[in-house]
Amino acid sequence: MNKVKTIHKDIRNDFPILSKKILKTKDLVYFDTAASAQKPQVVIDELNQFYKSHYSNVSRGVHTLSVESTLRYEDARNKVQNFINAKSENEIIFTKSATESINLVAQTFYDKFMSAGDEIILSLMEHHSNLIPWYFLRDKYGVVIKFANITESGEIDVNHFESLITSKTKIAALTHLSNVYGSKIDEKVSSICKKNNVAILLDGCQSAAHLKIDVQKLECDFFVFSGHKTYGPSGIGILYGKENLLKEMPPYQGGGGMIGEVTTDKVSYAELPAKYEAGTPPIAEAHGLGIAIDYMNNIGIENIINHEEELTKYAYEKISELDFVKIYGDGDNRNSIISFNIENIHSHEVSSFLDVEGIAVRAGHHCCQPLMKHLGVNSTSRLSFGVYNTVEEVDIFINALIKCKEFFIK
Amino acid sequence: MNELLKELYQEIILDHGKEPRNFGECETHNKSAHGHNPLCGDKVSLTLFVDGDDIIKDIKFSGEGCAISVASASLMTEKLKGKKLSYAENMFKDFTDLVKGSEDSLSTIDEDDSLYALKGVKDFPMRVKCATLAWHTFKNALKE
Repeated sequence: MNKVKTIHKDIRNDFPILSKKILKTKDLVYFDTAASAQKPQVVIDELNQFYKSHYSNVSRGVHTLSVESTLRYEDARNKVQNFINAKSENEIIFTKSATESINLVAQTFYDKFMSAGDEIILSLMEHHSNLIPWYFLRDKYGVVIKFANITESGEIDVNHFESLITSKTKIAALTHLSNVYGSKIDEKVSSICKKNNVAILLDGCQSAAHLKIDVQKLECDFFVFSGHKTYGPSGIGILYGKENLLKEMPPYQGGGGMIGEVTTDKVSYAELPAKYEAGTPPIAEAHGLGIAIDYMNNIGIENIINHEEELTKYAYEKISELDFVKIYGDGDNRNSIISFNIENIHSHEVSSFLDVEGIAVRAGHHCCQPLMKHLGVNSTSRLSFGVYNTVEEVDIFINALIKCKEFFIK
Repeated sequence: MNELLKELYQEIILDHGKEPRNFGECETHNKSAHGHNPLCGDKVSLTLFVDGDDIIKDIKFSGEGCAISVASASLMTEKLKGKKLSYAENMFKDFTDLVKGSEDSLSTIDEDDSLYALKGVKDFPMRVKCATLAWHTFKNALKE
């Protein structure tokens, strides 16, 4: 455990919010990074500095500030490109959220490549943001959605997934890392898609800050994630798409910035990536995200992964020792996320109790209602780790869980 | 134990949360509604029988949720049975005021009232929706 301790001592001071006291007395234990990560001082400072010294609209004017903003905005795109190892900066589209990224793909992929009766494969553990955009297609155009089963251990049942593929299957949209189980997708899924000429979108919201991402190795056609879960600002999402697909698909929204030439009769569109970035984009947010990526790179993605792996393993073992707690999924293939319930206590009670102890966990359905139904529960509690969490915090959490059970079950 | 938690989870709340009263469906009912908190998935179904004089003769609920939402629904049915609709609507307003922390102008709930036990919710703003779910469902049932 020494390694864990060394990393955190250097890092906790980078996050000013971690010194906040909850209810004026309790040290904050932030175990809700899967909902949104806290921001390091350097990101906060750089956002401030950007607005103070460099801000203007991008890609439009020729004046100094416009140039300074544009350079930083495009620099952020390069940082994202390197972060996920995309082949070209043209493959990186800035959106307002990962949700918007998925909506963009659903609509424009359908427009180019699908028609009524074609099939999409999702899984039972998708976040609502990777369900509803596809439901729209089902309701509007009559495409068919199939759901891959989830195994007891919390992973996509690969055999079942493969059996769902037909000649009408055009795309699969699946979570790269489950926001409930913390399980990573089996790499075989991508190769199965490739073999069958099915496009694949990976929802990387939970993986981008917790795994090494290489979109080429992942063999995915689309990869989405959000700025705010990767220690950057909210209000920015990322869409990676293979260049040939993004070129063929039509634009998503119309507006300024995405045009080539406009007359009263017709319009031609800008080249990638501008084609998909209608309107003033999240400028400072892109810059902030770039800084957050620098921050993660400076710590080292490998170090982050090791740190969180050890924490997750430690927490999983500690929680498993509590006979009144049920953990969803098993211990292998688990990254930074643990969902659980205490027998006969609703997750709301658990969360309120822990809150008073200074511990922030998520309670509810985690935007995964089909999965909750599959698990036969109304909700779960979830702890999730970031780079700043420690084994000491896990111990505080375990003690609080025991107190919680004693409080509600006398 | 923390005072805020003690205030939130008074004995009566834990009791009604575990063993809700008036749980189920009225044998005959002429008003009903389903309530759902999409943020957390809590659900409540409410049935009522209201007579010609606007008196709530019977009221029952079913559903699933946290102790606060179940206890609140249970206490609500106890309180509303036998009440006139106009009085019940005043209680709705008083109750929602109470759990949001404004208890100055309550006309139908006083400190000795069982509903007063839910006052502690005011210190947990995210739980207000748990406590008011059944009451909003009641309000919707009247709109039928």
